[in-house]
Amino acid sequence: MRQAAFLVAGGITEIVGGPSSGRTSLLVACLRDVTRCGAIAALVDTDHVFDPAGAARAGVELSRVLWVRCGRRPDRALRAADLLVRCPGFALIALDTGDLTPRLSLTMTYRLKLAVRRTGTALVVAARHRVAGSAAALAIETSRRALQWTSSSPAPSRLERVGTAVRILRASGVAPDVRPGTVYLAWWSA
Amino acid sequence: MSPFACAWIPFFAAAAAERGEPALVDRPLAVVRGAAPVGRVVEANAAAREHRVGPGMTEAEARARCPVLATRPWSDERVASARHALLEAALTVSPRVEDGGPGLAHVDIAGLERLVGNARVVAERLVRQVGAVGLRPRVGVAASRTAARLAAQTGPRITIIPMGDERAFLAAVPLGSLDFPADLAATFARWGLRTLGELATLPRRSLGDRLGAAGLRAHDLALGLDRDPFHVHVPEPYWEEAQGLEWEIATLEALAVVLERVLERLCARLDVVHVAVDALDLELLLASGGTYQRLIALAYPTRDVRLMLTLIRLDLEAHPPDAAVVGVTVRVRPAVAQPSPAGLWQPPAPAHRDLAALLTRLTALVGAANLGTPSPADSHRPDAFTLRPFAASTAADPGARHAGDDEPEPRMMLRRAEPPMAVDVETDGARPRSVRGGGVTVRVLACAGPWRTSGEWWDTRAWARDEWDVLLTDTRLCRLVHDHLTKRWHLTGVYD
Repeated sequence: MRQAAFLVAGGITEIVGGPSSGRTSLLVACLRDVTRCGAIAALVDTDHVFDPAGAARAGVELSRVLWVRCGRRPDRALRAADLLVRCPGFALIALDTGDLTPRLSLTMTYRLKLAVRRTGTALVVAARHRVAGSAAALAIETSRRALQWTSSSPAPSRLERVGTAVRILRASGVAPDVRPGTVYLAWWSA
Repeated sequence: MSPFACAWIPFFAAAAAERGEPALVDRPLAVVRGAAPVGRVVEANAAAREHRVGPGMTEAEARARCPVLATRPWSDERVASARHALLEAALTVSPRVEDGGPGLAHVDIAGLERLVGNARVVAERLVRQVGAVGLRPRVGVAASRTAARLAAQTGPRITIIPMGDERAFLAAVPLGSLDFPADLAATFARWGLRTLGELATLPRRSLGDRLGAAGLRAHDLALGLDRDPFHVHVPEPYWEEAQGLEWEIATLEALAVVLERVLERLCARLDVVHVAVDALDLELLLASGGTYQRLIALAYPTRDVRLMLTLIRLDLEAHPPDAAVVGVTVRVRPAVAQPSPAGLWQPPAPAHRDLAALLTRLTALVGAANLGTPSPADSHRPDAFTLRPFAASTAADPGARHAGDDEPEPRMMLRRAEPPMAVDVETDGARPRSVRGGGVTVRVLACAGPWRTSGEWWDTRAWARDEWDVLLTDTRLCRLVHDHLTKRWHLTGVYD
């Protein structure tokens, strides 16, 4: 399925997963789907981990991405996301909370939820664990399922692709075919 | 082949000074750059040159040679103003004018014979029009710009070269009259060439074989042929609207009515050419005889009359003029307006006003260096990128791809460590066996590599390294790099 199916216009999508689970790849795939349609997206990068060259190879139209680097300051990232969701015209706000996922207060999550509902923006939060609670319209968990190495010799010389299981944890007010418990398998080329 | 006229102003910097002070005309005059006693002459008029005063000599030496010499300091504004005046005067003769540099204007006079007269009448008109703005030109008319220019520079006030006689005219012109590149001029001198006529007699094919495109261009010029395109000078539009008043206005409410009319006229003109403004220069003529000026910067380019009027009102409320107003002038600085939305099938971009406010707030929050649009840098270094100012354009890029067309393969992204984390790596041969970083040692379960990359070896930013993709026992899939220059290992990112 296309990653854009995980975007909820006017709602919050959470992508959670551990290290090397594929959550960043899923987030960037959402950026790709949005920007290739000609829309504008913003990426709030808490830890300065975004790889522009890799994203460009993945098909992201970088000229349509506003990149906000927050210098490992989660409070700044939340403030930047709060400003962005209030500006109409962005199709997607991607918030990468980094490795130090901040705790979002109930007030903050509902503040974000109401803001995106008003502007029609899709807010995607990528985090180690769930932070938006019931304010999220869609919550997805990623976990690594498979690794494929290739080689012409006994020792592998190349990581070819990685398989990620994408499991729906919560789905509220989204497409009827996206149900909690459903698992999709996504493959990423290395 | 269409005829060209060339208006040339001898000793242009001095002529520009004379234009501002007509009393200096016919007096020895030198334009000096730098303060005395180290000031040097950069230009001298004809009267000064009769006393052997020329560019390059010190001001003291020039005064020694010509005790009655008048000097004026160099002024960029004065020269630019004179250059602009020359082009404006030329535009009154023909709409096709090329700016040939300071003191030089090429005029395409094709088709003017029925409107103005023959070439001599056109040239006299050009002399008259340029003379009206305070400059004394020499004019040459020929079938090519180069021939016309050389005719103006070497002949009397007006020189007409009949069509087809360019080569004969140029034959006696010294090679130095054309500003050939130094190496080309040196080659010609080594060959014993002195005039354009001697250059024109050389076989073209052999000249091209020996000197390439530069030699062929020089040969064309010697024959009186111009292959360079004619760059038409388009004058900058003058964005100003003014309103004189028959009575004095002392209240802001009454003044706002007048300002609104002035702004409406101005914005109607801007609307026609799809230009917005980002600064307003308001000038009020006061009943006391003075003027009152305010410069109002706009946060984003616009041609919204009500917005401009509100800003002017707010500014004048805070800084009111000290007398009644009898005249209003509004000048604006144009900026290209960005269309929004871009197209019927494109989602709307953020409004300029919203985006300007958003970017200002984000800049205050994270700093200008951390905000923008990423762009791959012109380098093979994997982590090279540049950050450009964000411009929310949903306009389709040339050759833009659409969803569903030529979909790129989904890729595993790397979460880059910035800066790369130095780690200690235990190896088995060349392959990593365990990684120690941050006080923790983890074993390598699987690894792939090495991928050897290097680049910019010609620069101080040279890099050469081996890259390994490693799966660690803590479930992380990482990229390790062994730097060949520093012999150190780094963890540059985690696949995620």
